[in-house]
Amino acid sequence: MILRSIKLILLFFLIISCEKDDICLEGSANTNRITIGFMNNETESLTSISLINIRGVKKDSIIHETINTDQLKLPLNISSNKTDYILNYNDIIDTLSIKYRAIHEYLNRGCGFISNFILDSSTENINNNHGWIKEISIVKDSIFNEEKTNLYIHF
Amino acid sequence: MKKKQIYIFIFSLFTTTNIVGQEIINKDNDSVATKKKLLNVDKLNIGLDLYKPIYSNLNNDNLSYEIVASLRIFENFSIASEIGSQDKYIEDENVNFTSTGEYFKLGFDYNLFNNWTGMDNSIYLGMRYATSSFNNKIDSYTLRNPNSYWSDNNVFNNYQTINHSNQNGDWIEFLVGIKVETIKNFYLGISLRLNRLLSNTIPNNFSNLYIPGFNKVTDDNSWGSGFNYTLTYSLPLNFNKKASKK
Repeated sequence: MILRSIKLILLFFLIISCEKDDICLEGSANTNRITIGFMNNETESLTSISLINIRGVKKDSIIHETINTDQLKLPLNISSNKTDYILNYNDIIDTLSIKYRAIHEYLNRGCGFISNFILDSSTENINNNHGWIKEISIVKDSIFNEEKTNLYIHF
Repeated sequence: MKKKQIYIFIFSLFTTTNIVGQEIINKDNDSVATKKKLLNVDKLNIGLDLYKPIYSNLNNDNLSYEIVASLRIFENFSIASEIGSQDKYIEDENVNFTSTGEYFKLGFDYNLFNNWTGMDNSIYLGMRYATSSFNNKIDSYTLRNPNSYWSDNNVFNNYQTINHSNQNGDWIEFLVGIKVETIKNFYLGISLRLNRLLSNTIPNNFSNLYIPGFNKVTDDNSWGSGFNYTLTYSLPLNFNKKASKK
């Protein structure tokens, strides 16, 4: 009698232990990077640019050693509302200061939260004395995916 | 996979009843023949869950408790109810939160065990309808971020805690339990429960990962599980019947 009951209890706990874990599937939404396009100030068209040693201000590690592209994706600092990048073009250094507001979005148990961003219009080039950046224009201030270009750097 | 096991489990319940049914029934030896009435309200059980207060105490949560009550209305059939309050800090994979709330369960127990004369133990199956009103307060969470360039750790706990209050959920429980009379009129019992979530409110930008009384809620599965370990006192209501016993 008691043995039967114990068997029953064990069977029950077997079912409980077979509970599926909630895992975050690959391809789930993620915290997105900012997408920057480079535009020739005279022709007003997307133009490839060669930048070297792209790194964040106060960071020792370089995120991109060299790029030669008209579009660049950079991660934003999620524990701040400001991310500064040093952009070196032909040994002229400009600092792009990206300002934004973070909106945390809940996905599910497995994935938890991700961060979306709303770009602030005060995003600017900090040392603009004789820099190579002529103008920064925000074309899409919400960063909810990486498909659309968020801002253009005119050079 | 899981469905199959649930069916095996349900099937196993029936096998047990057959085994129990093989025991000798000694009714004829009873010197006092009691008349069988259709409705036979003769016993009220009141008790406490022993596990929840101890568990909440060990984990430095506020006191959690569950009061159980059942009223026997037929020979093997009781109306049963549980009322509980829970406070639990839950460390999940991505979110740490505190779940607090009250719940109420109402249903029936059906006893399958044929007692020998003078014994009053039970193996029972039961069902409950349950409802819970609760708060889930997020204390900290991690952000899913594939780019580790800026962040060494993505745990957010310096934010104002997010309180998702006034949440509701209701579900149905299928349970199996045993109850053994250890001292006269005192019973120790354990019941195991499979819960099927019917509905729950969805908080803004979060989901109810835990519902007091229901326990853990998984994303794409509306089944949950639980148990209680109770000490109950049985209050006899039919005094004439008691007097007739030797």
